[in-house]
Amino acid sequence: MSTVLREYIVNREHHKFRKDFEEYVNLSKDYKELGLSPKERMTRRFELLAGLETPVLLPDEKICFIRTVKNIPDCFTEEEWAEIKSKHFIHELGYMSNLSPNYERVIGSGLLAAREEADEYGKRIIDAILALTSRYQKKAVEEGKTELAKVLERVPAYGATSFYEALQSFRIIHYSLWLEGNYHNTVGRFDKYMYPYLKADMEKGLYTRETALEMVEDFFLGFNKDSDLYVGVQQGDNGQSMVLGGIDENGNEVFNLLSELCLEASRNLLMIDPKINLRVNKNTPIRVYELGSELTKAGLGFPQYSNDDIAIEGLQKLGYDYKDACDYAMAACWEFIIPKVGADVANIGALSFPKMIDICLHKYLMECDTFEEFLGKVKEEIQKECDAICDNIKDLWFVPSPFMNVMIDGGIYDGAKYNNFGLHGTGVATAADSLAVISKYIYDEKRFTKEELIEAVDSDFELHSEMLPVLRYEAPKMGNNEELPDEMTVQLLKMFSDSLKGKKNCRGGVYRAGTGSAMYYLWHADEIGASPDGRRKGEPFGTNFSASLFAKINGPLSVIKSFTKPDFTENINGGPLTLEFASSMFKDEDSVKKVAALVKAYIDMGGHQMQLNAVNTEMLKAAQEHPEEHRQLVVRIWGWSAYFVELDKEYQDHVLRRQQYRV
Amino acid sequence: MDGIIFDIKEFTVHDGPGSRVTIFLKGCPLRCKWCHNPEGLKAAKQLMFKSNFCSHCGACTRPCNHDDCKPFSRCVHVCPNGCLSVAGEDISAEALAERILKNADILEIMGGGVTISGGEPLLQADFVCELAERLGKTHKAIQTSGYADSETYKRVVSHMDYVLQDIKLADEKGHIFYTGVSNEKILKNIEWLKQSGKQFVFRVPLIPDITDTEENLRAIAEIVGDCRVELMPYNPLAGAKYDMVDMEYTLDEEENREEDFTKFFKNTIILG
Repeated sequence: MSTVLREYIVNREHHKFRKDFEEYVNLSKDYKELGLSPKERMTRRFELLAGLETPVLLPDEKICFIRTVKNIPDCFTEEEWAEIKSKHFIHELGYMSNLSPNYERVIGSGLLAAREEADEYGKRIIDAILALTSRYQKKAVEEGKTELAKVLERVPAYGATSFYEALQSFRIIHYSLWLEGNYHNTVGRFDKYMYPYLKADMEKGLYTRETALEMVEDFFLGFNKDSDLYVGVQQGDNGQSMVLGGIDENGNEVFNLLSELCLEASRNLLMIDPKINLRVNKNTPIRVYELGSELTKAGLGFPQYSNDDIAIEGLQKLGYDYKDACDYAMAACWEFIIPKVGADVANIGALSFPKMIDICLHKYLMECDTFEEFLGKVKEEIQKECDAICDNIKDLWFVPSPFMNVMIDGGIYDGAKYNNFGLHGTGVATAADSLAVISKYIYDEKRFTKEELIEAVDSDFELHSEMLPVLRYEAPKMGNNEELPDEMTVQLLKMFSDSLKGKKNCRGGVYRAGTGSAMYYLWHADEIGASPDGRRKGEPFGTNFSASLFAKINGPLSVIKSFTKPDFTENINGGPLTLEFASSMFKDEDSVKKVAALVKAYIDMGGHQMQLNAVNTEMLKAAQEHPEEHRQLVVRIWGWSAYFVELDKEYQDHVLRRQQYRV
Repeated sequence: MDGIIFDIKEFTVHDGPGSRVTIFLKGCPLRCKWCHNPEGLKAAKQLMFKSNFCSHCGACTRPCNHDDCKPFSRCVHVCPNGCLSVAGEDISAEALAERILKNADILEIMGGGVTISGGEPLLQADFVCELAERLGKTHKAIQTSGYADSETYKRVVSHMDYVLQDIKLADEKGHIFYTGVSNEKILKNIEWLKQSGKQFVFRVPLIPDITDTEENLRAIAEIVGDCRVELMPYNPLAGAKYDMVDMEYTLDEEENREEDFTKFFKNTIILG
């Protein structure tokens, strides 16, 4: 590994090349006065920024291009945005994000070929990219980097003829998409479209495994050069997700030498980009899971696993062609998207399951004589809410990005091949546990009355406080492989997907139901007070597809059993089951293999998506500060385990100290 | 028949071949000073109090009518923060087997099984034998001190696929001092185990200056010969649960000295 380059980037030395251009802060005003169209504005801004860029080559680096222009001024004034928003539905920042561009095509045939097909704006942006590239090329000549200079003579203008050229071409295209203002620009199935270049070069004897790994590491560092300038909910939320493995359209496994090198590079670099996703299926050999677990052990929180067997079938059910479904990739987090031809908005809204229970608790519990009747009301309410969410999404408008338009086959302006909208589903465990409480204690055992439950929830358990420990700690919980809450989850997810069936969105696509939460597990939790499962007011829901935070869970096996019961082919927008392990658990080789076997068991049993965390010191410290959010964090001590937060502070400090030695 | 357990852990990775579910049986005739499961020592149920979340509301001190609270001066069902629990659950072999077998499919996919640990499972020999029979073809292991008469030991082991046999101290006096019992029965059972044809592994806890001494490890090496040994480094967290059951932990929180402990044995690994 080039430690020089890695250290340089880790220490942010390259930030010294960055410049602010105060004179362009109010660019949008000029554009407005000139009465420019949105496409013209996007094009002019790109030409301006590319012109302002200063070519810089970092020490030891093989693959170049960094951002030196710090900020991208807006194309539209505040008043213009207000007007746009008054007339249209605007998603997040107004760009079409979370796309997986067709790198394969453009790396393969070059930007000049793409230019032939592009509209006038696309052509101008390509010209600006090539002009900047040739300034980089001159810089490389000046600095005596002749190999790089030769590479830049060819790419991205022409199709890549080597692995080096292909990687450099990717870097320039990816960089340009960000400079254009797009965000959550994903990487797609990197090992599928990039391996042919590596394979050919290795057959020519140009690389050994070691030198190829060095090249991949150099390339990976590129994702971390400018990432702090990328917009996201949090630093690191930048969508540079890379997908490895999985099957191709003929059912053949894609996992290859490059996939291995990527896993290894990620493990060596220990940087948060690119984010690694591993596609697996029932035929994936255990060795692939073991390589994945080696990366999990590194504590970065990836790879995230996705199950081909479930995803491909589910995507087909939504209307994706078999070939495209086989090619699925990951959006910024875990939404299933289709590279090259898809322009789905996979995170356009979210359904709060607990809010539906809250509404029904207050509106219908008193009048429902049976639990089935109550559940019927929940179904109706979910339908109403989904209708309202979808009705609200009209006339979606987005900033037209001419270069992104070039990068998706057929363009995105008037819709690509797929234009579906995805909805998250938040807090399903909280809702399922609440339904379990209502079924068991109100209707079945009649241990509490309806009035008592409503009063307890409304008073945040100030009234009927004796109910709290029962609802919170004794009631059945999702994640313990118990029939009642698990069945409620199955039903809630089905109600969700059923309620979206047959709906057409404003771009002509369909709606997709998911199991993710994104940030909604906090936002939605604030919308309601306490809940019947014993969740107090203000406590967040579990993240994504996971058990409630305070539920006492038997362990990972029960969790897997519970969380593989739903039919995920019906809820395939994405959203992983998350398991957290103390990183100390990964200490010996044998344990890494056992974790790999656990993931494989989850996939074989029909799970759709899984994320594993080897918990590090930072998380333990956070657990000390906010124990209520980390109650399930398990610390393992040879033959026994403890919930970290239940240990006395001095013992927690012990664990922390120990973790420092082990991570 | 009924037994008493104090915990079930899923996905244990150091308790035998593959990934396992470990059942902890309550009650132990030994009193090893380094025991990290103090709630497993007494056969009777015990109140466990996790003080971290206690808000001193006093709810648990008010009288209640719950049967299971009777042995204690507290109500274990009212804590709003989940601080109180009872260590010890009476359960029939049938019900326990049923609970374990809910995970039989996933254990099979992972190539794992069930490990019966404690406490000392040999104290509940009949219960263990019935449980083992009810577990059918699921892979079964026992983790034991080996402290039982040979008839009991042989009978229980014959129901198992795998034995994790502790060896703590070779010297009888030391054994009595640090564990409260003689190792005579244990060593006798070990001699039988070695020639029994069962699959097994020896487990040696490395307790600083007690079991990890050169003298003790050389003596244990003599006993185990070529057999497989798993060494378990001392963990300063061993005393973490003593407060919860109102007991005092008397050993230090020092880690093992820097030493390659594997050098004493022919066939060994150190467990994480």
